[in-house]
Amino acid sequence: MKKIIIAVVAVVLWLAAVIGYTVAGTASDGDDGEHDFIVLTVKEETVKDYNTMPVFTELARMTGKDVYWTYNTSNQYSNNIDPISIKGIDAIYHAGFSNLKLYNYGRRGKIVAIDEYLDSMPNFKRILENPLRQDIRQALESPDGHIYSLPRIEEMGLKAYPNILFLNKEWVKQLIDKDDLPASVNLQEEDLKDGLKLKRSEFKAILQKFCDTDISGVDSKNKVPLAFVSGNWQGNESDLIASFGVPENREHKTVENGKITFTIENENWFNAIAEMNDWYNRGLIRSSAFSQTQDEFLAKGQDGRYGAFYWWEKETVVAKDKQNDYIVLQPLVDDVTGKQYAGVSNEQEIEKSECVILSSCKDIKGLLGYFDKFFEPEISAQLNYGLIASGAFKSQKDENGKLVPNDDHGNQSTDDFRMKNAPYGVVYLTAEEWENNIEMEPRAKLRLERLEKWVKAHTFENVKPIPNLNYTKEQLDVLNMYESSLGNNISAWMTNSITAPTKPSKSDWLNNLLKTNRKSIDEVKRVNQEAYDSYLSKISAGS
Amino acid sequence: MKSLNGASAEAVENDLLIEQAYEAMSEGSTGDGEVVNKKAPDKWEKWKNNFKRRGWILLFIIPALLYVLLFCYVPMYGILVAFQDYGVGDPILGAGTVWVGFDNFTAFFSNPNFGDYFVNTFLLCFLGFIVGFPLPVIVALLLNSLRSKKVKKGLQILYYAPHFISLVVMVGMLKLFFGADGLFAGGSDFFIKPEAFRPLFIFSGNWQDFGWSAIIYLAALSGVDPALHEAAKVDGASRFRRIFSVDLPAIAPTVIMLMILSIGNLMSCGYEKVLLMQTPGNLPTSEILSSYVYNFGLKGDAGYGVGTAAGLFNSVINVALLVIANFTSKKLANQSMW
Repeated sequence: MKKIIIAVVAVVLWLAAVIGYTVAGTASDGDDGEHDFIVLTVKEETVKDYNTMPVFTELARMTGKDVYWTYNTSNQYSNNIDPISIKGIDAIYHAGFSNLKLYNYGRRGKIVAIDEYLDSMPNFKRILENPLRQDIRQALESPDGHIYSLPRIEEMGLKAYPNILFLNKEWVKQLIDKDDLPASVNLQEEDLKDGLKLKRSEFKAILQKFCDTDISGVDSKNKVPLAFVSGNWQGNESDLIASFGVPENREHKTVENGKITFTIENENWFNAIAEMNDWYNRGLIRSSAFSQTQDEFLAKGQDGRYGAFYWWEKETVVAKDKQNDYIVLQPLVDDVTGKQYAGVSNEQEIEKSECVILSSCKDIKGLLGYFDKFFEPEISAQLNYGLIASGAFKSQKDENGKLVPNDDHGNQSTDDFRMKNAPYGVVYLTAEEWENNIEMEPRAKLRLERLEKWVKAHTFENVKPIPNLNYTKEQLDVLNMYESSLGNNISAWMTNSITAPTKPSKSDWLNNLLKTNRKSIDEVKRVNQEAYDSYLSKISAGS
Repeated sequence: MKSLNGASAEAVENDLLIEQAYEAMSEGSTGDGEVVNKKAPDKWEKWKNNFKRRGWILLFIIPALLYVLLFCYVPMYGILVAFQDYGVGDPILGAGTVWVGFDNFTAFFSNPNFGDYFVNTFLLCFLGFIVGFPLPVIVALLLNSLRSKKVKKGLQILYYAPHFISLVVMVGMLKLFFGADGLFAGGSDFFIKPEAFRPLFIFSGNWQDFGWSAIIYLAALSGVDPALHEAAKVDGASRFRRIFSVDLPAIAPTVIMLMILSIGNLMSCGYEKVLLMQTPGNLPTSEILSSYVYNFGLKGDAGYGVGTAAGLFNSVINVALLVIANFTSKKLANQSMW
């Protein structure tokens, strides 16, 4: 009898748990009220709920449309292999589909061909029809000529240069004070300011000192002489490699004299890898550079344990009280040629698939009309930084009629403020808008200034980033077959060669990297060249 | 109780009697020269009778059958995707289905890295099998010949406890020990070295599972008749001799059966751990067929068709290996699954 009672109790408890879980699950999945639209967005837990974000409540008031935002974290989203099949959603914000994925969903009719609804989107229509900006239309079209997504356009001129080199001047000062500077380096304390120019060999010697001597204020176990995140979109090793005279970026491909080229075929690239192998074996570069994520890099950097690092800006890497320890270095001077080089990345300022509308949406025109509002410059600016009324911008425009960002958020840092107020996403902030309507925020300005002063002058002549290319279905299939496996092979060869105990040999480079991947390299080059040529001809025909 | 037992024994006796009677009847009716023709229906008759009396026992296999049907056979229709240009939400069999024949296989086989993936899969799983299969057998035999029961129990628990560590935690531990600035990494990082991937994967896997896998052999060993050991002892066999001449032959059928089964799974070492351990640096050895299916077929742009084709290819190899292993063992050891 006792056993029976125990069994019954166990079953009841189990059922209660299951039911409780299911009920709780449904409650948190959506909210009970009726909404005009439900949009899935991709955001981190730390970012404020979009449903209560002032920009969206204001947009709801302006358009009279009630949009409910559900979300995935970026981790959930990237592991969600079928975001399009999530039930009950009308659109995906921050969708970030690849060209092929976008086209595959589009031609199956799973997502809406937005070009068929331009009549309900006056702002977007005007952008597409602007004769001066036919490159935007070009970038957005899929192989069948349809536009399946709403873009994010933010042209600040920052993305082509995702790496700036920073040096810990306090550490160098310690070396100077101890009279322990390497013999080859002639530096005075007053030289240690932004824009310092160092030869690569001098930089290496300093890093070696960082590595070998005790630096006060930092645990020698944690000390990292040179830090970066290999293969990351910002703060990668590309510009260290570029200093050898090869226009490197993280995709290893670029446009040189109108021709698509792979940097890995350049002998300077090999020289750079061979030298980095030496840096690695001397302990100047740590193995964590090749395995850490961006977040890990940022978390570690806060306490100022980096002797030097590549990143977008020092302000995100180092905690406030240590930020002044670091100075901006110019691109390293090549010892052989005496020249300075900086690579250009292929990061696009026109991000193609920021938002897609699912065909299951019942009122496509209504929803597109709502998103069309996002393309108004002032709305765009507020989506990017926060509502004017919440204090993201000064309530008065300046004498030129430009919106001026407000940097004073009381106790909050700018990052915190933006996490609560700015959803980013679909915006239209072209170079023209920054020129005429909106003043850039101070941090963007600062970065632009640093780039203007010290980096941009050293980019390669005749080298351009690869623009947003428009591939045909066949070209997409070829890229699909070769490109990602090629990328894996290159990064694997590179990482292994740098971290190997001995220097990579030239024959290893020629055989194991170039020869084994010959077909992939050639095919990717050919397809990109074709697409680039047709891009050029279309742009020149349009203007 | 006694009477009950008596009753059931009686029933069994009755059954036997009836059976004998049937046999006698059927033999009686068999004429010369018609043996083959007549024996079949009689056998059928016998079976039917048997079923009538004891058929309800078959009900016990229904849950197992249902399970296999629902979770193994029903999802198999998804294989069709390997022959389609399939996207999410497309019907697998319907008007909108786009059949592409063997295009997906062509795309998969002409992938420039296909050879590497294949070799990686084979080496990882084969080496894992070479190291991992004998280990539990040896451990079970050694444990079994321990004198002290207490020590045996203790060791057994110690050995199989790691089995309950979840994969993620396991790889986390590996990273702490052998990853960047890890305890045993000596300033380097074994996770970015392609040559370190297989040893790390195989030895950590075996460390985790050898104790658990030994349990089945220990169970088989517990069935060994102690009289055999007694007899061997009387004959002057040493402890070591008895392991080889008594214990090992006793568990040989189990060992062979499990070997056939694991050869049938040779090409499918789990992708989860591979994915957890993958870094850009160790990709030359860590990208195997099943991780390719995930990375390119599901998450990447290659598409479901190519992913399914790759998975199907893997399964076909597994089936072929299974058949070969079974055939070989039938010929050599007269042990087989079918």
